[in-house]
Amino acid sequence: MINKPSKWAQTWLVTSWEFTHFFKWKQELVSKLIMLGIGLLVFVWQQVKDDTQDMYRIAVSEHINLPQNTDNFQFIHTSLDLQTLKIELSEQQKWDAILIEQDLADGSKQVSIYSQDKQAWLEQLQQQLIQHYTLNFATRLGLQEKQLAVLNAPARFDFSYLDERIKSDEKTSSSTAVGILVLLLAGMFTSFGQLFASVTGEKQQRVTEQLYACMSPQTWIDGKILGQMLHAIKAMTSAALTGLLGYAFFSVIIGGNSIDMRVIDWAMLPWFALFSLCGIYLCTAFMAAIAAAIDDPNHSAKTSIMLLPLVPIILTFLVMDSPSGWALQFLSYFPLTSFAAMPVRMSVLEVPLWQPLLSCAMLLMLNLWMRGAAGRLFKMGMNMYGKEPSMKQMISWTISDRSTG
Amino acid sequence: MELEVQQICKQYAQVQAINRLSFGVKKGEIFALLGPNGAGKSSLIRMLSGFTQADSGQIKVSINNRYYPFIPSHALGYLPEDRGLYPEKSVLKNIVYFAQLNGVDKTAAIKEAKYWLERFDLLDRIDAQLKSLSKGNQQKVQLITAVIHQPSWVILDEPFSGLDPINQEKVVQFLAELKAKGMTVILSAHQMAMVEKLADRMLLLNKGQCVFYGTLHAIRQQAKVSGVLTAKFSENIDEKRITSLLKDSAYQLIDSHTLRINLSNQHVLNDLLLILPRLGELVSLHSEKLDLHQLYLSAIANHGEANSDK
Repeated sequence: MINKPSKWAQTWLVTSWEFTHFFKWKQELVSKLIMLGIGLLVFVWQQVKDDTQDMYRIAVSEHINLPQNTDNFQFIHTSLDLQTLKIELSEQQKWDAILIEQDLADGSKQVSIYSQDKQAWLEQLQQQLIQHYTLNFATRLGLQEKQLAVLNAPARFDFSYLDERIKSDEKTSSSTAVGILVLLLAGMFTSFGQLFASVTGEKQQRVTEQLYACMSPQTWIDGKILGQMLHAIKAMTSAALTGLLGYAFFSVIIGGNSIDMRVIDWAMLPWFALFSLCGIYLCTAFMAAIAAAIDDPNHSAKTSIMLLPLVPIILTFLVMDSPSGWALQFLSYFPLTSFAAMPVRMSVLEVPLWQPLLSCAMLLMLNLWMRGAAGRLFKMGMNMYGKEPSMKQMISWTISDRSTG
Repeated sequence: MELEVQQICKQYAQVQAINRLSFGVKKGEIFALLGPNGAGKSSLIRMLSGFTQADSGQIKVSINNRYYPFIPSHALGYLPEDRGLYPEKSVLKNIVYFAQLNGVDKTAAIKEAKYWLERFDLLDRIDAQLKSLSKGNQQKVQLITAVIHQPSWVILDEPFSGLDPINQEKVVQFLAELKAKGMTVILSAHQMAMVEKLADRMLLLNKGQCVFYGTLHAIRQQAKVSGVLTAKFSENIDEKRITSLLKDSAYQLIDSHTLRINLSNQHVLNDLLLILPRLGELVSLHSEKLDLHQLYLSAIANHGEANSDK
């Protein structure tokens, strides 16, 4: 007789089986290449189609005050009548646009622009002409260019908070907090989809008893939770990298700017990682336990219960603009929501070390309880075919010391 | 006995699945569980495997001088009634995964898997997705996963179902090989011919109760009817005369010349041989023992009658 492997060894086997069941290198690589291809296509297309970089010749009536020439627009006075100019524009392509101006009774101008067809650069031309006419009007009013600038931006706003815990704007890493919440959502949705497919699939494939003969239900669910956690982490990492690459691509390659990584609060990342891991464990364990109780994935009301782990993230989103308010403070300690709320609170508020430590400790204790409860629910749920347990039964299994068969 | 079951009961809602059942299984034997659908075989198997617990009574399994309330997972190879593997994965990956979960290292698992797949003519499908195999071939893969770690106890819930006669025969050889390796096999099956060929001892269940238990020989001893004697006469037989002469025996008139008498263990053939010539001139006499299939049908029918009488 061969010696049975340890629970750890079995858990790891299930973890790697669960992970590789959904993770395919080839498909991952192909999907990333497709994304890269799409990015390149957008870039090339924009280069090919970009008509805003060309030089356009604009015919302007002699009586109009000539706008200043730019890299893209050359304004040329002409004495020709509109009819002749239209012929020159459409048949000889001598002009790209014709500018006609009329005075209106209220002192403003009616500007007509003629072009062969609708083009993106016309929008750019309009912006430039608005600037030109604003400046002209200001000059007529006797305003200097600097005065006009003040008129356009009469006040600058700066917020100062007496609550010194709130981080200043330069330090504020709310973008990191939002990023973390978005990544958590990506992780949760990945876990939800795959756990649903995996657990209900295994149940329908009638593999339960074969596995129960090899290991305990607790070992099985531990492995599944860890496998799905790896997937959630992979999904979050992948989403973060894709976001960064996308930002780099559009900001640097297309926008011609440098990468500004100050939006990420690096010092907070270890805390975010810790809370994210605990949160994903909590939610994955919960979802695995509920999925085990689902008999028919197409017609079960319990599928919607599996989405409950999204609630803490949504609640945090709703109150994150009031970092020192009671709501976010409560959510950041409450173990069912702290995984989402505490990192957000930490990113916008200076908090003493004991607060995240206490919050984390309570979350870990909840995770410990959830592991056992999920194991009990999983054991019973996976054994039920053709009939789903009632909520009452599920609650009694959750709080019981041991499940009976 | 390596496994002793004493007076166990199990009830599901209103159904008494197992009712005061007692029996034992010896080390290294093939022990068959027989019974019609719903007799309680799978419920019993689930209790023996530790998936569920008896409401009352006791199960005691002895392994290396230690006692367990069910067959512990480290000693168990199990083919459940509700069976299934991972259809999207290859045959080899399925087998190796279960082998590893049971403590076989990967290299040894691959070697063993190849050996058994060759035995079942499946070696050429080793890398095929399980779902691409026929139901019978999937069943064979499942059998391999149940025993690849060479457990000391093997429980097989209907190992012959879904298999053609040729493959059923292969499974018979497979089970004989397990026995030869010293494994104790508990199997439930409806294929009486296979069981008769394989099982050292058996337990017939009906409505959660023991109908008969022991070796085939012992069961014949216990059975009300253990054989049939067919007598053919040269002329018509008088039925009234049969009734008066064979008042203690169950019989059946096949035609006007042929009489079939159910033999119980109480019957003394000499007595019958004295009685039968008084019914007419005997042309032929043929005696046969009931096979397991006939014993099974007869026992279930008798048990049903006995229960309805109560």
